[in-house]
Amino acid sequence: MLELRNLSVHYGHKRVVGDVNLTLAPGQTLGLAGESGSGKSTVAMSVLRLLPRTARVEGEILLDGDDVRTMSWGRLRAVRWASASIVFQGAMHSLNPVRRVGDQIAEPMRLHGTPGSVRELLEQVELSAQKARAYPHELSGGQRQRVMIAMALACGPRLVIADEPTTALDVVVQAQVLSVLTRLVAEQDLGLLMISHDLSVLAQTCDELAVMHRGELVERGATREVIANPRHPHTAALTAAFPVIGDPAHRWAEQAPQPEPLLRVRDLVVDYGRTRAVDGVDLTVGHGEIVALVGQSGSGKTTLARTIMGLRKPSSGRVIFDGAPVPVKGAALKAFRRQVQLVLQDPASALNPRHTVRDAVAEGLRVHGIRGDEESLVSAAVERAELRPAELYLDSLPHELSGGQQQRVVIAGALVLQPRLLVADEPVASLDASVRGEIVALLLKLRHELGLASLIITHDLGLAWQIADRVAVMHQGKIVEQGSVEQVLLNPTHDYTRALLRAVPQV
Amino acid sequence: MSRFNRAGVAGAAILAVAALVAVVAPLLISADELDVTRVTAAPWQSPGAEFWLGTDHTGRSVAVLVAQGAGTSLFVGLTAAVLAVGIGTLVGVVSGHFGGLVAGALLRITDFFLVLPALVLAIALSTVLPRGLGTIVLAIGLTSWPSTARMVRAQTLTIEARPFVERARALGGGHVHVIGRHVLPSVVPLVLVNATLAVATAIVAESTLAFLGLGDPTRISWGAMLHQAQLHGAVPQRAWWFLLPPGVAIVVVVLAFTLVGRALEAVVTPKR
Repeated sequence: MLELRNLSVHYGHKRVVGDVNLTLAPGQTLGLAGESGSGKSTVAMSVLRLLPRTARVEGEILLDGDDVRTMSWGRLRAVRWASASIVFQGAMHSLNPVRRVGDQIAEPMRLHGTPGSVRELLEQVELSAQKARAYPHELSGGQRQRVMIAMALACGPRLVIADEPTTALDVVVQAQVLSVLTRLVAEQDLGLLMISHDLSVLAQTCDELAVMHRGELVERGATREVIANPRHPHTAALTAAFPVIGDPAHRWAEQAPQPEPLLRVRDLVVDYGRTRAVDGVDLTVGHGEIVALVGQSGSGKTTLARTIMGLRKPSSGRVIFDGAPVPVKGAALKAFRRQVQLVLQDPASALNPRHTVRDAVAEGLRVHGIRGDEESLVSAAVERAELRPAELYLDSLPHELSGGQQQRVVIAGALVLQPRLLVADEPVASLDASVRGEIVALLLKLRHELGLASLIITHDLGLAWQIADRVAVMHQGKIVEQGSVEQVLLNPTHDYTRALLRAVPQV
Repeated sequence: MSRFNRAGVAGAAILAVAALVAVVAPLLISADELDVTRVTAAPWQSPGAEFWLGTDHTGRSVAVLVAQGAGTSLFVGLTAAVLAVGIGTLVGVVSGHFGGLVAGALLRITDFFLVLPALVLAIALSTVLPRGLGTIVLAIGLTSWPSTARMVRAQTLTIEARPFVERARALGGGHVHVIGRHVLPSVVPLVLVNATLAVATAIVAESTLAFLGLGDPTRISWGAMLHQAQLHGAVPQRAWWFLLPPGVAIVVVVLAFTLVGRALEAVVTPKR
């Protein structure tokens, strides 16, 4: 049904895709894996000729035997959506915010004159028919993604291309969306080309797997086979990067001795207007201990972290750091902030695009008016974060660095103040698989060398297994279960923890 | 993109010429040529070899007057724009950064000035305050800052929502740090573009006020020339040479500022 022959795509002189050969039969599901910049999305977009005009496409893209590259404009319009459709990533940006989702699902049917009803499509994706009258912002992330799937199916295509369909979703919702997608593909005998950086997601949905690396297809085969016996080193790196919960080989944290408490949170309540985001939380982080705070998006874990940092005022309850309550303002709060540092999820946006690495790392020193040799302090912190030699990076701007290097700069900016606690909000969620492991190792090394305690906020249970000493599970503003990693992740007692663990895709 | 740049370069070239004229003209033109009581030429002469652009109702050379007027127009335009953009930036950054009651109060004031017809307010101000160049600058500056304030506030809000500002706060940075290191550097390019466009608006406003007879009577400006032409019957005299040159000068300089502003805008706006 879909056949790519020697597909190459160039932007100017830069080759982003080279010599890709792929075939996909009806009813077949193929996963296309790769890191950012590997060219996997470019391949997907080329199928419906959706690449920008500056792209030079060579080779053949045969859709039911017709070459998409040479199709007339009218024929291409007829083929788009009716033969092959796309589930775009980021449903919030791909849906029109000012139109009802029902109208948006009906749009391709109207354009192509396809009969069918929006109600049936919504039912197929397990949404009630009333949702047709909703606007995108009234739906949750998972519901929006299901609307995107309904839209992709509107004209009865035979091929569906799903570009990172679950990337922004948390595990439980991801599991729901994936099950809807797999069921529909099986029921309607569709071909599915699914693109993701996450091998475990592809393993769950696809029979076959193709791995891309630097624009080339490096491996292709049955999913189980590829994951169990990767032949290409890049595939091996990708499979190794996703920790398996319960596997001792993926447990990198050595067990810390029972430490003295450094941070204690007592009965903390935070309200946003009438919504109670954090509801009576008790939490302890010891000296040099790594605690993972896990939960779905909206569980209040980020609000809890902000409150601990003193960025939000609690409605009631106390945060005690090193035996004293966290000050609320003035010089005392500033001094407290030297001790506790924040590492944000997306390093690209956590760094001011106009500031060089030197400025970004030195920012904390300047804010606190720390005397001494700024240059050597900055260099030391940058090297601590394993950007060596520091001189190579100090004058770079953030956009010249890779995601992993950017995150190291953020970490260096925190280290330069010699903090005692690091609060990291999804520190590896936006990083590529191969970089992820390096950052995790760095956090562990810092604990080992500097005795740096961390509170790691994540929806990723695999990360918790990899790095943490203790886990606290947060659900609707409450901590429903906490304890050592082995205890919570291997023998969960609360239903919600079990549900979370069940939703984790298994390789 | 390249089309804009070419237009921008053309605009910049025109501005360079205008600035040169504004600086050099007062040095070359003697006071006698501008003094109504000392000029010797006949009034209402049409353009010719001696007077390229003819003479006005008192016999002064229109070409000399246009050259002399460039300084006034540019000076008022630039200072009024700097005043307006300055106030606008201050109000915008403060209301965007602090929020709450301060922002509420500042925004209501902004709205007040925004809905008030600027020209009417400027006319009112220039009638109440003593006549002079300072008054004109003040009148234009005080009436044209609200749009800048709104825009700067919007930009400030987007910057404040970015994670790197949260990081700066978590590092212990206070208001001065966040505004000085993160907000202002991102707002400045926008403000510069806005200032260039504001100069164009201010020149038109100055000409309008002067045309209505509210300008500084001791100075020659393009708007004041149009006022004189209208007052002394250039139209019934069919003296097009008295009306056209100052009018064209205003149009060309305003257009030049707009072109430069647009070109700068294309440079500072991130490409998509």
